[in-house]
Amino acid sequence: MVNGVRLRPGRVLFWLVLIALLFSAAFPFYWMISSSMKNLMELSGRDPVFFPSRIHLDAYRLLFRELGFGRNLANTAVVAATTALLAVLFASLGAYAVARLRFRGRNLLLNLVLMVYLFPGVLLVIPLFAMLVRIGGALSIEVQDNLGVLILTYLAQTLPVALYMLAGYFRTVPEEIEQAALIDGCSRRQVITRITFPLSVPAMVSVTVYTFMIGWNEFLYAFIFLNRRENFTLPIKLLSISEQLNTRWDVVMAASTVMTVPIVVLYLVFQRFLEKGLVAGGVKA
Amino acid sequence: MAQSEERLAYLLVAPTFLIVVGLVVFPAFFNVWISTHRIGLDNLNEVFRAPFVGLDNYGRAVRDYAFLDALKTTLLYSFSATAVTTLAGLAVGLLLNNSFRGRGAARALFLIPYVAPLISVAYVWKWLLDPTVRGVLNWILLRLGLIAQPVSWLGTGGLALSIVILFEGWRYCPFAMLMILAQLQAIDTTLYEAAAVDGASAPRRFWSITLPELRVVLGTVFLIRLMWTFNKFDDIFLLTGGGFGTRVLPILTYEFSFRLFDFGEGSATAMILVLILSGFMVVYIRKVLRW
Repeated sequence: MVNGVRLRPGRVLFWLVLIALLFSAAFPFYWMISSSMKNLMELSGRDPVFFPSRIHLDAYRLLFRELGFGRNLANTAVVAATTALLAVLFASLGAYAVARLRFRGRNLLLNLVLMVYLFPGVLLVIPLFAMLVRIGGALSIEVQDNLGVLILTYLAQTLPVALYMLAGYFRTVPEEIEQAALIDGCSRRQVITRITFPLSVPAMVSVTVYTFMIGWNEFLYAFIFLNRRENFTLPIKLLSISEQLNTRWDVVMAASTVMTVPIVVLYLVFQRFLEKGLVAGGVKA
Repeated sequence: MAQSEERLAYLLVAPTFLIVVGLVVFPAFFNVWISTHRIGLDNLNEVFRAPFVGLDNYGRAVRDYAFLDALKTTLLYSFSATAVTTLAGLAVGLLLNNSFRGRGAARALFLIPYVAPLISVAYVWKWLLDPTVRGVLNWILLRLGLIAQPVSWLGTGGLALSIVILFEGWRYCPFAMLMILAQLQAIDTTLYEAAAVDGASAPRRFWSITLPELRVVLGTVFLIRLMWTFNKFDDIFLLTGGGFGTRVLPILTYEFSFRLFDFGEGSATAMILVLILSGFMVVYIRKVLRW
């Protein structure tokens, strides 16, 4: 087995490289979680402490009891979940039309969607801000610190990608099944709600999770639109905590942990669906 | 029948259409308008009566002392970060294309930097790079004798930009890896078998089979990431705040608009950003996208 002998050093190298890369991907997360449980001595000592002596939850207590983190967690969950549900609903309807129905303006819509898909958020934040302040003034609605307005801007960012992903999926549902149902007397609406949508649940789940993640992580718009601490979503809250307590790395790391764990769990649970979507849609982040 | 289908189609696309037109298309055009008017905090509530100033905002933006630097930094940053991301994605993709025990778990683990919230990972990096001896990187390098005193990684001109580029590679290479891996697994294995029979060495097979087969996906990944890195704001903002030689055009746009409250100049800067970006977009649409 000349081949086997030659392969072995290669195999060792392979494992070494793999482990080194895995370590560099994972270590920051270990550091985040372990640091959130260190006590002040361990944090401010001369050397970094790699293993906390025991689990200290002081940082978490401070976070939830004194810094009102629970409120911000709830804000974020509401914003992200609403964005996700509305995005998957609207995008599914639109995507079906794009994938299966003939209508004038279809190509215009597709080009529009494409344009948005590639459009920088930084460009839109100024006109959006000016526009919404004006509209809010006219209708006497408070635009700033309004989570509903924030959700609308997230929908605008996520709908195009969601539509793109879902339209791609709907096209893979065999058209013959739909035709057969139409011939059997189903209406188009029945075809959509009883055949196409149920067959597309995996894609819808992936789009829901994906838009939820966007809503959960979004920084720039929340940063511009939210001013009051109790309205902050998690990214902005984290920024304000780090400015307020810039020496308390345990608290910053605890907040990061609370923010990261749900997203990573969500990703691991829906991993299969999500990866397909990521590859198919070239998902934006 | 056809007519009622058309009506149904309009009904179905209406919500998406309204939101996208109202909150993306209109603001995009409105931005062009803003960029040619003088708009500050004082007249923000009456934007439509703002005085027209022609291309004055563009002139002021371009002549600003920070503009040229920001343009150069943006180009350097987006091209290098995209190159690092794509190459790292290729490396990890090639590794994961081997079969080994725990491949599924390794692949899931590799994706975590990409799915984790940006702000959390940015703060972890900041702390790992802490400019004192307590920073893990400084501590390790001091121990190894590679540096004589702690380095301020994110607070030193030149160094900060390299770190931000590394961060981009770390965070976004999983995206590149996924796309590249999908393509790797689609390569016809008989090509490799035939090459092996002909006595082609492993590097030879890589150059003559793998790379040509990956050409399209590498190009796609590079272009997509280039566009998204080009207008990236939050990564740099959270890591360095745009200081120490990392002020890119999106940061400058933000500073003009929300620090100096000169919305006209901010919009003009954003327009310049988009003009350059649309060059990349044309290439992308022509070469990559097929609906």
